Amino acid sequence: MSVRVLAWGLGAWVLVCAVACWTVHRTFSLPEGRALPGVVIASLWEKGELVGRAVIARAGDPDGALDASLVSHAAATLVYESVVAEGPVVMHPDAALALSFVAGRDGVMATFDGRTEYVTPDDLLARQAYGKEIQWPAVGLRAGVDVPVLWALLSDRFGVPVYDLSRRVRLCRIRVVRSIPGDPPAPGAAVGVFTNRDVREAAFAAGRFLARGVNAEGHFRYLIDAPTNRTLAGYDWPRHAGATYYLAQVAALSGDAEVGSAALRAAGWMRDHAVTHCGAARCIGSERVVDVGATSLAVVAFVEIARTKLDPTYALVVPALTAFLRDQQRPDGDFMHEYDRESQRPIDIQLIYYTGEAALALSRAHALLGDARDVEAASRALAYLVGPGWSFFGSRYYFGEEHWTCQAMDDLWERSPNPAALDFCLRWHAFGRRVQYAAGDTPYDAEGAYGVGPLVPPQLTPAGSRSEAALATLDVARKAGVDEGELGPLEAQIRRSIAMLLRHQFHPGPRHLLADPAAVEGAMPASEVDWQLRIDFVQHTGGALIRWLGRSSADP
Amino acid sequence: MNRWGRARVSLVFGFADLVTAALVVLGVFVGLPARWAPVDVPASVLVALKLASGLSLIARARWAPRMATVGAALALALGLALVTGLALTASWLSGVYGPVGRGGALLLTLVAALALPYLVVLPVVQLVWLREAAPRAA
Repeated sequence: MSVRVLAWGLGAWVLVCAVACWTVHRTFSLPEGRALPGVVIASLWEKGELVGRAVIARAGDPDGALDASLVSHAAATLVYESVVAEGPVVMHPDAALALSFVAGRDGVMATFDGRTEYVTPDDLLARQAYGKEIQWPAVGLRAGVDVPVLWALLSDRFGVPVYDLSRRVRLCRIRVVRSIPGDPPAPGAAVGVFTNRDVREAAFAAGRFLARGVNAEGHFRYLIDAPTNRTLAGYDWPRHAGATYYLAQVAALSGDAEVGSAALRAAGWMRDHAVTHCGAARCIGSERVVDVGATSLAVVAFVEIARTKLDPTYALVVPALTAFLRDQQRPDGDFMHEYDRESQRPIDIQLIYYTGEAALALSRAHALLGDARDVEAASRALAYLVGPGWSFFGSRYYFGEEHWTCQAMDDLWERSPNPAALDFCLRWHAFGRRVQYAAGDTPYDAEGAYGVGPLVPPQLTPAGSRSEAALATLDVARKAGVDEGELGPLEAQIRRSIAMLLRHQFHPGPRHLLADPAAVEGAMPASEVDWQLRIDFVQHTGGALIRWLGRSSADP
Repeated sequence: MNRWGRARVSLVFGFADLVTAALVVLGVFVGLPARWAPVDVPASVLVALKLASGLSLIARARWAPRMATVGAALALALGLALVTGLALTASWLSGVYGPVGRGGALLLTLVAALALPYLVVLPVVQLVWLREAAPRAA
């Protein structure tokens, strides 16, 4: 092959590739107007179950079968999903089919033997089928429609086995717009529109949700599948402690007796069943190996309960726990994050979050009890976190998810100010602004969330935890006299996240797709389409709302 | 180019082939989360050819030019297929999802940019050099 042939070949490849890319992009994009005119899928939902369906030309058009269903299901909710666009899908392989739909926005139109059926976004949301097919845990990727669930739904609609269906059916994706007759428009907490009253209501609703999930003994409903209202397996002491802290905060702010009672039950369960011996000190845990995180967040919760006078006697439990934390601290300020109760030895390994949590816990304990050893230990931990703890080639350009450091910095500022920590936190949030979604960056309602691509609907909790840290940073920066002009972008960043959290809270949420909407009112889902509700989702997002209300420049 | 110059270039291409083999192992067999024959088999063949080509070029073996030509041609074919596939996938995703966001665009560009030097530019340069060097060596 001559050089000339090679050059021509490469040139031709570039041209063909460009044309092919343009054609593919154009074929699979969904410009509105290309859709079938007058297709509205009317569905009747009762307690999260589909009880009636009709395809009509216009919302409000009568349909005999649907009207009959309405009579037999008087409590059902009528939902219209109007098809506004239609486009092709790639049916093979399964991964391509799975990625052919924008989560929460796109459904399927299937044609088989001249008959057409629809699987709408609501059908898929009710079965939590988005973000399931492709999983790459190493990079946190969960994307694509659950293909087996999609085929099962279609098989059910047509009454044809999946095998036959998959060989002869023609699939298209449809983009729909949902409307519910008589329902007020969805809360449009756009940036700059929400008020402190909205934020307060949302924070208290989140607290009430958590409180409803605390049983008589003090155990949380740790993880809930919202559509079915089933409690899923799993439990975790650090998150129990964090959720207890949030309940104590809400109880103090709202004066809600039920929330206060739930906070005390949850704290009581921890004090009576989880405080155990770790050498001469006390720690939190029930396993042979316990971690610093659970004890740290328990201290934060107990201090809050004592500080707000929910039950001042919790102050008595704190010194033995902080003694454990101090015993776990290394000379360089970091902590040994685990402890083997059987051999009575610390285990010098490090896990994400725990050093920051310990720093905050020790700072809070000092503020309540005045033990100078606690503030000294907290200051050393903070100095480690923003110094050697985040020092590597490229550490100026990359930051993780750790969100306790800046809260510890804020908490310590009056007693042990650390300008290096403020600098670190300001840089971290500047990095965050680079990966925060602006309006139109993704097909989702994601302005204010954090992420790096459109395939995965952004998780909501990181926006909450980063906002907690950002609000702490903002507060300290103002105290330190940082120029307001420099802080404007930070405040705008937080405002975008708070607005986004308000929009996505189940307040009231997609009631028609939930088996028991009242049970999950106030909850914060994992994402726009992942409706698993874990207690720490509310803790972090609610924590951000409470910090927003308490910020130094708070609106009236 | 004199004999000494050709020897040095041969050494450079030999090491470049070994680096390419290592990067393919890293990208495919360490980086990708699952095993899939349509990717794994060509990648394995490419790694084997690049290793053989690299070692033979470094050792100045008699069969080195032939091995290097086959290796470079396969790398170029796979590289063009990979970049085409990535470009088409990006076009498809942007068609389905609309805006891919700054992060998404950056990620795809970086992946393409990482593949281009080793699997397109290097094989092209290598093929040109082998072509230029062949008559003199004969």
